[in-house]
Amino acid sequence: MEIEHRPDSIAEFSADFKDQLSRYFSWGMLFFLIAYLTNNTLIHSQKWTGIKAFSTSITDWRLWVQVAIYASALILAWLLVKNKERSLRADAATITAINTYIVRSMFWAVFFIGLADMAISFLRVENLLPLVVDEQLAKDLGRPQFRGPMVHLPLLALGFVFGAFTRTLGFHWLALLIVLAELAIVITRFIFSYEQAFMGDLVRFWYAALFLFASAYTLLEEGHVRVDIFYSAMRKTRKGFVNSFGAVFFGIALCWTIIVIGLGGKLGIIYGPLANFEVSQSGFGMYTKYLMAGFLGVFAITMLLQFIAQFLESVADARQQPGGRTIATETAH
Amino acid sequence: MELLFLALLLIILAFALGSGYPVAFALPGAAIITIALAAISGYLFAGGNVDAYFAQDGPNQWLSAGVTNLRGIYWEVERDTLIAIPLFIFMGIMLQRSKIAEDLLMTMAQLFGPVPGGLGISVVFVGALLAATTGIVGATVVAMGLISLPVMLRNNYSPSLATGTIAASGTLGQIIPPSIVLIILADQLASATDQASTARKVLYKASTGEISMPSEFDVSSTSAGEMFLGAFVPGLVLVALYMAYILIFALIRPKAAPAIKNEAGFDGAFIGQVLGTLVPPLTLIFLVLGSIISGIATVNQAGAIGASGALLMAGYRLKESGSTRYIPAFLAVVALIAIGLILAFFDNNIKSINTEHDQLGINLAIIAVAVLLLALLWSGIRVARIQNTLYEVMIETAKTTSLVFIILLGAAILTAAFRAFGGEELVRDYLNALPGGFWTKFIIVMAVIFILGFFLDFIEIAVVVVPIVAPILLADPSANITAVWLGVMIGLNIQTSFLTPPFGFALFYMRGVAPAAVKTVQMYKGVIAFIMLQITALGIVGYYPQLVNYLPKRLQLTAETAPPPRNPKLSHCVEQYVTEQFAVNGASLQTSIADTSALDFSMLPGKLAKSVEESFEHASNSIQLLADANQSADVVTEGSIDFRSLHEQMRDIRINTHNIDIEIEEEQSKLDLLDDDAAGRDGLQQHIEALNAERQAIEATTPENWEQARADFTELQLAERKQRIEYRKAADKGYQPIVELQSTLAATESLKALGGEFQMLRDMIENSDESVIDELAASSKRFGDVEGASAIKSDISKARKALRAKKPSKEKALDALASAEEEYQSEVQWREQAQASVGTQIAAYEQTIRPTIGVRQQSKLTREQALYVAACDADHRDISLNF
Repeated sequence: MEIEHRPDSIAEFSADFKDQLSRYFSWGMLFFLIAYLTNNTLIHSQKWTGIKAFSTSITDWRLWVQVAIYASALILAWLLVKNKERSLRADAATITAINTYIVRSMFWAVFFIGLADMAISFLRVENLLPLVVDEQLAKDLGRPQFRGPMVHLPLLALGFVFGAFTRTLGFHWLALLIVLAELAIVITRFIFSYEQAFMGDLVRFWYAALFLFASAYTLLEEGHVRVDIFYSAMRKTRKGFVNSFGAVFFGIALCWTIIVIGLGGKLGIIYGPLANFEVSQSGFGMYTKYLMAGFLGVFAITMLLQFIAQFLESVADARQQPGGRTIATETAH
Repeated sequence: MELLFLALLLIILAFALGSGYPVAFALPGAAIITIALAAISGYLFAGGNVDAYFAQDGPNQWLSAGVTNLRGIYWEVERDTLIAIPLFIFMGIMLQRSKIAEDLLMTMAQLFGPVPGGLGISVVFVGALLAATTGIVGATVVAMGLISLPVMLRNNYSPSLATGTIAASGTLGQIIPPSIVLIILADQLASATDQASTARKVLYKASTGEISMPSEFDVSSTSAGEMFLGAFVPGLVLVALYMAYILIFALIRPKAAPAIKNEAGFDGAFIGQVLGTLVPPLTLIFLVLGSIISGIATVNQAGAIGASGALLMAGYRLKESGSTRYIPAFLAVVALIAIGLILAFFDNNIKSINTEHDQLGINLAIIAVAVLLLALLWSGIRVARIQNTLYEVMIETAKTTSLVFIILLGAAILTAAFRAFGGEELVRDYLNALPGGFWTKFIIVMAVIFILGFFLDFIEIAVVVVPIVAPILLADPSANITAVWLGVMIGLNIQTSFLTPPFGFALFYMRGVAPAAVKTVQMYKGVIAFIMLQITALGIVGYYPQLVNYLPKRLQLTAETAPPPRNPKLSHCVEQYVTEQFAVNGASLQTSIADTSALDFSMLPGKLAKSVEESFEHASNSIQLLADANQSADVVTEGSIDFRSLHEQMRDIRINTHNIDIEIEEEQSKLDLLDDDAAGRDGLQQHIEALNAERQAIEATTPENWEQARADFTELQLAERKQRIEYRKAADKGYQPIVELQSTLAATESLKALGGEFQMLRDMIENSDESVIDELAASSKRFGDVEGASAIKSDISKARKALRAKKPSKEKALDALASAEEEYQSEVQWREQAQASVGTQIAAYEQTIRPTIGVRQQSKLTREQALYVAACDADHRDISLNF
């Protein structure tokens, strides 16, 4: 289903204080996320201490840079909200569009990386790699620390480029891709007695991406199950209240928990494997396990954006503003 | 204090779920909020200690544990079975969109119509078929509600019966494999089994004082494939119950479920139509379930087979007309038959192509696979073009997969929070403190699951409740249930959650498609009978665990990788089998032993002759020894009647004292942390003393005769165990020498073939050939490979050593070679003699005793034995008195 873009017919809409507060909360959260990720990168890559250094060395200039990053994020959000008055629903649509772009780019990235890494792993396990590339490169491709930055990273960037030029949702193709990848195992195993670790890794790689990347769209499309004993009987305003409350206290709380636990610290559940280019035990499998830890970060970030969009949309519902998307309930369960 | 937060967790959870916010986020949200509140309260009220209000550890550890659990769902290799879920969802949605449900319903209604209640029976039948293919409850209920309900109502079916039948038949998808809930349950039970196994080992150590528990007392694990097998028969039982109910209802009240005359008549065209609609889904079911049940493919691979098959079926079903309609499906069938033939005639292995024959096989296979892929591609393009079906199937698959998995993720965090506040321990203590042993616990757990089913969906119950209760139930040695049985029982129970108002999925969908003339109350009335039937099925499967356990056991024991008969887990049933065989054939066995022992074995070398001659006595004794052991087992059973109540009493006492011990330990560790808080120290000290007093009071209730009774009973058990070991030894000694003799004799020809070795070696040594060292090694290996020629082998090795020594000595080497040759000649001589005089008799005798006395020495059970042992092992056996 296409997202109904609420065009500027609501442009004349005059925002009041509560609307502006909700918008500021949402954009503030988004910019804060960017600031957090930036600071986090600085902490991990440049060995900065982060703002917890407040208690120890208040004179360190780096501390103040990091504080400034957070502050400027909040100020930028304020400027954006103040100078461009828009309806809550229009903002929600914008954030959803940004999110759709991220998910689409991530789909292209895992599609390319999956195929490329599978090909490399196949060549490597069959000792064909030296025939295709020179000996040094063949050796280097056997090291995760090389394959990550030199193969995966460019493909990731390519994913974002493809994401900008295509209009598909993307992630749904993963459903077909895992069927094909598993079918390939069936055919080679039963007909040609050939089975290698990388084949299973490819299925695993795409399968994890499928449900983690699809989650944001599922939320948008009302696909996540509700216990609707009371909910189904509620009026739209009340539903809006439940959803805006839930988005903040359940959804956003969950996303931040995953982000902070996953990225905070050297041994973080996401950061640890990413930093070490962790690979699976099988040796000749694909070198993508560390990226699967990254999937969790993608999940948390895309869900955070979607929860923000849901929050805006629900506040609009609760405040009985015009518009709103109608969603056909599906029967797949 | 942590219990307060546990209560708060449950309140917030109930509120969050009740508010209607998506479950997948309400579960972790409630957990995170509670953990945050506990941490903040600790910071404010417990002197800055954020860990204060947790059962152990602190907020950081528990949130990390939660997120780690969450990542584990796709990160850990052990949880790969979950990959099958999107594959089966893809298959199900593809079949749903390709309208096979409609075809089946129309045709089956005509076929079953003339029977009383025929329309209802056809709905159940189609529901079962759809369950084995799509397994998606909502889709099945909607399809049947749209097609069958109007027909049934038009023919004056009672609205209650009609809606009840449709809703209940739709839920069959949850229990008839391949089913998503069974995969999730298998995944959850895998870790529960590990926990239960650990708990049982602790219990064993605590009650017997022995460090390692014999593996026959361990908890048996399960897998998704086993769950599918286990649920197969219960699923059929449920289908039979539904059909029987409708038939009886129709016979008692013919007006409420009338038979319908088939106007078209059963002509050839109709039979063609029946076959045309039935054969493709049945083939798919056969391929998917068959490949899992026969153990050829893993569940994931079967999922891919099913998804591809569904694509092929959609390929011709969606294209309503046209001359090319069936070509892709036809190509696929031809390709599959070709692949079957190729695999039958060629041993295809792409990594070892040695002969032209191999190459031909591979080439043919490549052609066949290319045709198959062409058929799939063609179907895929059609499905993508016609009504954009492929896109919709992919989107639906992605959404449904996501909805299932995100709940799994959310529950992972909730479980961590539940543990953080000591909830798991609380539940365990509560359940273990219940009087009446395993069955009370079990019934309470099942009742809780049933009641939760009124409010929650199957996934939530499976992922929230199972990890908490399953380890406790599995660990209990008094029922010693299998994980697969527990899984199927829970699966059957969860099935009711679809039908129980107010939150029953099947009811929602039914309401959505039923005409307004059908009142909701009528629907509720209609499903009551089916809920009863489901509970009846639960009772039947609970009473006859063989219905679940037999098929997985059978597959396990007949598989290539079957455990050997001497595996301690099997010994109970193997010995039962042998006992029965002895009872039937004992006399003829004895005759055979006596006849064979009368043969002349004097030509055998001394050692072998002795062991062979003695073996007959051992074999003969083993029959009596097993009978003795069985008698002792009866004595143990008799003794256990009185002992059991005492044992149970004592078990409760032990549990109580154990709990107090833990509490004392906790208080003690708190005490160790407090340094200078005198008041706090005194308080803790007093508490510990009170606990100690309580412990003593409980210990004082130990029955006076306990020690004596236990000593007596243990003695009985030991006596039995000793006799069993004696029997096993006797059986082994009765069989092994015979096999040795037989294989030695069988190797006579290969020994004779090596006759030229000595001359060759001698020549080489005398000519100082340099390669002689290697040749000697090779030769000694050749002799080593011949059964019973180790003496020759060692002589040749001596010759080699002599040549390799610091001062190589040809003479010594030649001496050793000569002694080897001498040995060889005498060996060949006695073997030929023995072969001629006793060879056939020994072979026949070995055949006679192999299935009984020799069974322990076989590498796997014969088919007949495996079936017997599977049936015997499928029942649950109380092993609690060993604890």
